[in-house]
Amino acid sequence: MSYFDVVYFLAFLPIVIIVYSLLPKKIKPLILLIASLVFFFLYSRWLIVFIIISALSIFLAAKKITKIENEKKEAIKDLDVLTKSKVKATYIKKKKLILIITVLFNVAFLFYFKYLGFFTGVLNSLIKIFNVSNGFKIIKHLAPIGISFYTLSAISYIVDIYHGKYECENNFLKLLLYLTFFPTLVEGPITRYNEVKDTLYEGNKVTYKSFCFGYQRILYGIFKKMVIADRLNIFVKIIFNDYNNFSGPIVFLGAIFYTILLYMEFSGTMDIVIGSAEIFGIKIPENFREPFFSKNISEFWSRWHISLGLWFKDYIFYPVSLSRGVKKITSKVKEIFGMRVSSLLMGAIALFAVWSLNGLWHGAGYQYLFFGYYHFFLILMGNIFEPLIAKVCHLLKINRQNWFYKLIQIIKTCLLVFIGELFFRANNLTSGLQMMKQIITNFTFKGFNKTVITLGLDIKDFIIIGISLIFILIISILKEKKIEIRENLSKKHLVIRWLCYYALILSIIVFGAYGEGYVPVEPIYADF
Amino acid sequence: MEKLINILEELNPDVDYANCEDLVDGRYLDSLTILSLISEIEDNFGVVIPTVEIIPANFNSAKKIWDLILRLQEEE
Repeated sequence: MSYFDVVYFLAFLPIVIIVYSLLPKKIKPLILLIASLVFFFLYSRWLIVFIIISALSIFLAAKKITKIENEKKEAIKDLDVLTKSKVKATYIKKKKLILIITVLFNVAFLFYFKYLGFFTGVLNSLIKIFNVSNGFKIIKHLAPIGISFYTLSAISYIVDIYHGKYECENNFLKLLLYLTFFPTLVEGPITRYNEVKDTLYEGNKVTYKSFCFGYQRILYGIFKKMVIADRLNIFVKIIFNDYNNFSGPIVFLGAIFYTILLYMEFSGTMDIVIGSAEIFGIKIPENFREPFFSKNISEFWSRWHISLGLWFKDYIFYPVSLSRGVKKITSKVKEIFGMRVSSLLMGAIALFAVWSLNGLWHGAGYQYLFFGYYHFFLILMGNIFEPLIAKVCHLLKINRQNWFYKLIQIIKTCLLVFIGELFFRANNLTSGLQMMKQIITNFTFKGFNKTVITLGLDIKDFIIIGISLIFILIISILKEKKIEIRENLSKKHLVIRWLCYYALILSIIVFGAYGEGYVPVEPIYADF
Repeated sequence: MEKLINILEELNPDVDYANCEDLVDGRYLDSLTILSLISEIEDNFGVVIPTVEIIPANFNSAKKIWDLILRLQEEE
């Protein structure tokens, strides 16, 4: 059952809403937990054991870390400064050991289910080169649903507890709900415990407003997926499987369409996720903020899959760049080359770690690693050349706040994103490279118009996609200008409001790409 | 505080640090500048800034950064 299944939004969700509404406030979070476990079980059956083990591991580790922290506070109470720091260090060592074991324990599950096959393959390739033995058998396991997402949430919880960011959760069932909460389970966002705990355990009532707002958001998500993403899927599939038969512009159009498809599918899922939670009065942080208005790649990643970017920033970028080893290297560089070069180096080392892991997080394959390093390179170049660009603009009296300059930056960023997504979607790294070669070496518009309409989409499809994209662009511009569309709509007359709802429902029914000839997009991020 | 303002001005001279309240949210300090700033603070004020403290709330103004330094010095 995916979030786009009729079974989800017309059966599963309404049943949970009804049961949740009928029961007293205190029991409401328990209903959400039961619903989440049922949801998980429907997807992954007995693999549910692994998420429970993960939750149990961080629950017990957090309790132990808190206990040590309290003992430390007690032990250093009346000590002098020198003894205090010695005693402190002993307790910190104990805490750190528990933290490391817990993180490794959870990462081990992720590695076993997601990366064992890939790394066995890498090992076999090395063995083949050195001709040592026949290699190992590649075993692929069916992973528990959402393991890439809930493992990162689990790590964020235990690291934050270690740093004393907030108090540990004393109720195991509550912590289990945090990890398994059914709307965020399959495709995130990767929530932080302190961001969601207040509304998650509150047992808020389902009100008319929360119900309408929630379902509005769900409908918007379905619209994005069914009208745009599913329609583009036909075209994208043909191009990525048969790229050799098409000219450069058609292949590049395939990359553009795939990027749009990915955005509509993933941000559409996020609309359903956030909308589903909103019905129960639970606030889930946004995972997208109009990414195609970004003026550089760095900004793009602060607007696209926000929760993943923030996770990497907090738990990889800063810890790596401020680690003792990196500081040691960069302090020497600072003495010789100055602060700017040393911070560039510090950032580069951390960025390399971030993008290696980001690539691998998206999938166990060379094309994903390439995708990561591609972004690492672009961001690094941006960091290096930014002062130079600023100087040149200053000398040439170019106003960087000018709308035209911004527009050029936005177009440049979009083009770079399309190339990145081409590699992301390519069947493998070789295909990705060949597609790029095709784009560059076979760049001719001869027969472009004729070919485009033979790739599964006719003129009518293109018109529907065009109008839908304009509709979403307008909404995005309004959101960028911080205009609360839904709040404004809720103040309109009942007739206008329901006309809008019906228009959205009807547009999905009439223009949705389903039935014969259409293949719906599989939940892309669910596989990560 | 004056020492801190000097460091900040060296990193990005085009900001009015006495009044600016959105150094991070307004993108006056990006990740790299924050790294330089942390390194300078650690060298000049004898504190270690834990990664958990690197949040916009602690870096959005010179006053907030100064409060963080004082708090960390007290905790040392």
